[in-house]
Amino acid sequence: MIDKRLFRLPGTKKLLLMLAGLTLLQAFVVLFQGKYLAEALVNSWEQKSLQTIIYPMALFAVAFVLRHLFNLINTKIVENYASKTSEDIRSMLLDKVYQAGPEMISEEGTGNLVTSSLDGIDLVENYFKLIFTKLMNMSIIPPVLLIYIYTQNVASGITLTIIVPLVILFMIILGLAAQSKADAQYKQYTILSNHFLDALRGLPTLKMLGLSKRYAKNIYTVSDEYRRRTMNTLRIAILSTFALDWLTTLGIAILAVFLGLGLINNSFPLFPALVTLILAPEYFLPLRDFSNDYHATLNGKNALNSIFEILERSSKSEANELKDFSWKQDSQIEINNLQFTYKGAGNNAVSLDIDKLKLSGYQRIGVIGKSGSGKTTLIRSIGGFLVPDQADIKINHQEVSNFKQINWQKKLTFLPQSPYLFAGTIAENIAFYRPDASIKEIKKAASAAGLNDFIDILSDGYQTKIGEGGRGISGGQQQRIMLARAFLADDRHILIFDEPTAHLDIETEYALKKPMEELFKNHLVIFATHRLHWIKEMDYVVVMDNGQIVEQGTPENLSNHNGAYSQLIKNMRGDQL
Amino acid sequence: MNFFKTFKHDTWVKPYIKQYKGLLITALILGLFTSFCAAALMFTSGYTIDKAATHPVNILLIYVPILLTRAFGIGRPVFKYVERLKSHNWVLRVTSDLRTRLYKTLETDASFLAEHHKTGDIMGLLSEDISHLQNLYLRTIFPAVISYLLTIIASIALGIFNPSFGFFVFLLLFIEVFIVPMVSVSIESARRAYQKSVKSDLYVQLTDNVLGVDDWIISGRKNDFKNLASNNIQNLDKSKNKSKSFRRNRDFILQLVFVAMVVCFLIFTNLTMTHNQEQANFVSAVVLAIFPLSDAIIPVSQGFEEWPEYKDSIIRLNTIKPIQNNLPIQKDLNPKDFKSISIDNITFEYDSDSPILIKNFTQNIKKGEKLALLGPSGIGKTTILQLILGDLSPQQGQIRVNDLDISQIQENREKIFSVLNQKPFLFNTTLMNNVRLGNESKSDAEVKKAIERVGLKDLVESLPEKYNTIVGENGSRFSGGEQERIALARILLQDAPVVLLDEPTVGLDPITENDLLETFFTVLKDKTIIWVTHHLQGINHVDHVVFMNSEKIEMEGSPKDLYKNNQHFQELYRMDQGF
Repeated sequence: MIDKRLFRLPGTKKLLLMLAGLTLLQAFVVLFQGKYLAEALVNSWEQKSLQTIIYPMALFAVAFVLRHLFNLINTKIVENYASKTSEDIRSMLLDKVYQAGPEMISEEGTGNLVTSSLDGIDLVENYFKLIFTKLMNMSIIPPVLLIYIYTQNVASGITLTIIVPLVILFMIILGLAAQSKADAQYKQYTILSNHFLDALRGLPTLKMLGLSKRYAKNIYTVSDEYRRRTMNTLRIAILSTFALDWLTTLGIAILAVFLGLGLINNSFPLFPALVTLILAPEYFLPLRDFSNDYHATLNGKNALNSIFEILERSSKSEANELKDFSWKQDSQIEINNLQFTYKGAGNNAVSLDIDKLKLSGYQRIGVIGKSGSGKTTLIRSIGGFLVPDQADIKINHQEVSNFKQINWQKKLTFLPQSPYLFAGTIAENIAFYRPDASIKEIKKAASAAGLNDFIDILSDGYQTKIGEGGRGISGGQQQRIMLARAFLADDRHILIFDEPTAHLDIETEYALKKPMEELFKNHLVIFATHRLHWIKEMDYVVVMDNGQIVEQGTPENLSNHNGAYSQLIKNMRGDQL
Repeated sequence: MNFFKTFKHDTWVKPYIKQYKGLLITALILGLFTSFCAAALMFTSGYTIDKAATHPVNILLIYVPILLTRAFGIGRPVFKYVERLKSHNWVLRVTSDLRTRLYKTLETDASFLAEHHKTGDIMGLLSEDISHLQNLYLRTIFPAVISYLLTIIASIALGIFNPSFGFFVFLLLFIEVFIVPMVSVSIESARRAYQKSVKSDLYVQLTDNVLGVDDWIISGRKNDFKNLASNNIQNLDKSKNKSKSFRRNRDFILQLVFVAMVVCFLIFTNLTMTHNQEQANFVSAVVLAIFPLSDAIIPVSQGFEEWPEYKDSIIRLNTIKPIQNNLPIQKDLNPKDFKSISIDNITFEYDSDSPILIKNFTQNIKKGEKLALLGPSGIGKTTILQLILGDLSPQQGQIRVNDLDISQIQENREKIFSVLNQKPFLFNTTLMNNVRLGNESKSDAEVKKAIERVGLKDLVESLPEKYNTIVGENGSRFSGGEQERIALARILLQDAPVVLLDEPTVGLDPITENDLLETFFTVLKDKTIIWVTHHLQGINHVDHVVFMNSEKIEMEGSPKDLYKNNQHFQELYRMDQGF
């Protein structure tokens, strides 16, 4: 019912102690509230004057107010805890993203998982808010009231004791029945419930197919089918609430009848009977509250679960093994026996198995291969985004076990296939690696990347907002902004490119070629591509297939014989004019 | 007050309340009965005990209240159960209507949904708006209406015995179910709107954190990464804490008013009902009956809390208006009779403020011809396809199919044109259903044949569910190249004489791209094809290439001729081929 990992969160134990104290106080004021109300009512029943009920009535009112005051304090404590703890979790999650984000994102395919977890924090907060109070209320208030009721009237006490396990039993049975019915329909159900959104998104396609008008009828039919199924499931799903309601109200009714009969037989006076009757609804209240919010807590519980899963993933934080160095004409990297396996894949599914690779000086190294051959995995391992299971790496003769090194990544510029633009100005995006750069330097870098013409026509110039919520810009200009970023970071001498021009039209690509070649000077370039013309510009080519290097050498040497390189080039070219 | 203003010109909430009136009234009455039974249960129980305590000589004297106690005890949960079913049923019925209406409204603008609704995932927002309306009914309107009815009925019932006490209680209840909710809406509205805007900024920042994480790591700006959102998080927390504290205090005040009411009842019953024992037997009954009412009246304020969100949804839905089309009288064109498309000197601009996008563009495309359209992005290649389809109209010039203006054949244009674009939309249903959308009258065998022609047979038959495989949201079960093939199969079934291809291979690797283009041009051999592409891969498949730039047609001709005679084309081609 409650996740044990919750207790490990800071402040939880203290919170539980405070809540327990407060709830116990609350239980007693609830008891007094009932007791003094009953006293006042008995006096009225005995047709006594107003003066006789003022005292119990005032005490009743005080108890009532205190009860809600305690409730207010209780809520306040829990809400503070909930918001503080969920902020802590958000912060831990962000740390994790920084530490393991690239690996997680490439494994899941998108950043969705993480974004949705961050989004789910609100649900978690709500979960915290509900779960502790409700559980505490349920475990403290009914027992206190029950003990008091036993002292007043044993038979009533027994009746109330018996009903609770009955209620729980019924709820479990009915809950399971509803669950199995819902499970059986689940797949159909989600498709039906998403059908509408699917249809809206597919409207242009339906229009093209000439179906859009007729499809309106389908929207209604499917929606109505969804209604029918929902009603069928609901009929059973809310049966458990019904059972709870039914048993508790019936419990009160039975109690009233028993008490009435007891009073007729003169077994006890009015007061104990009345106080029992007044306290009976209070006795059931925590149970009903708990079941009412059960679904709200379920969502939060699931969100918390997925967050814990992310937090519990093993990850390596960036290492500091590598001493600071500078990359020069005579620098070199040796990679031997690098192995990397995607987690979750089968035992033998080696995703990357690099026997030997040497990179040196200001070389331009092309990495080619068909899609799925491991180009990106290799590039991302070198960028330090993925940590290989095993590798012998020497950077300028220093031995390291992976590229996730602060002093290595400080030397890199990375250009992916679809660059990410941050929500901010063009200047901020260009200066991302060097936020302290002067506007003069930024302008110089932008001009080197060929951005002048584009920025000149913008009314806000370098201060134009781009990224999410900002101005949309074309793929070509996005890549130019990335190039400007690389030009500006002139202390970084290693460029890693992952198919930077794959999405661009040929003329835009043609125009980008000049600034890129300018940038290549005095840089070690590692360039994954499947665009043939880039291969020509490379000093050295690595041909990947199935996670392994199948051929490497200068393009001239490789094209001289009919190996993997020549074969791949031929397939990529297709038929000639 | 903005609450009432929102509904003034509303056509998405009010009209539907009149629908399924019988069901709605049933649901409301059941809701009322639920509260009534809850109060009556305590009333009869209290009376039973009080009466029994007078030791009546005959047990039959309390027989009726005992029976009623049992009846109300059973009645409350039963009514509540049925009420929940009925109200959900009503809301879901209305939902079906709302969805159909939203769909029909958007359908009038089907070709331009993406252009006209730029903000993020507008479809997701709109479909969520409808769920918000569901909640508006279930969580706000129904409970509020029931509490108003209870207030009126209880006040009148008391008023019959004692008009001034009845009025006094009415005032207290009015504070609980009307004044406090309204005050709380007006205080919280601004705060909620502020929280919403901070939250959306926060979401952007967290997206920047997650999707830009590679760049953050490379840049080494770990502290900036962690602090990016901290300002907004603090502001949001501050504002949310105010909301929470307001809510706690409000609920506390509601309870104070409630206890005041109970005390008044205690005094009132003591003063007016203690003249003889028979009257005094009703004292507990009357006082105890108020307590269950708090279940119905206290949560009303909470129900109004989400109002700002509902308000946004109502406003957004109300701004969506159907687009009127002014098409001329439609003519029938038999697809078999298709001869040519002539684009005659057209000029197009989106509106008078934006620059002229297409200037004096002329092309004649004969039946069976294959045309490729190239040019830098943003030059209007896709716009030309929209003009050919008749979704856009040129300011000057004309586009004709045979001798008919394109606007004259809009009604059945799917018989003439098929379209395949970058990201073909696949519906989240079976592969079979997706392909069959091309032509719903085709047999299973014909659908399978189409799937075979696009080269998917082996793949599909290796899947456990074969042709009944669910394609997943946006076709996610299949790769990009496979999705294009599925869409192609759909087009084969559609069997229109003209196929418009809008960069269908962008983002695919060259080998997949070659295979796919090979398939396209093989299975569409007999069709007229207009192909917008971004580079020269597969250009050997077409008869005619048109290069556009922002001024004019830069060069055109058969790819072989251009390669022989045009230096720029040669350069581009050699670059593309890596020579």
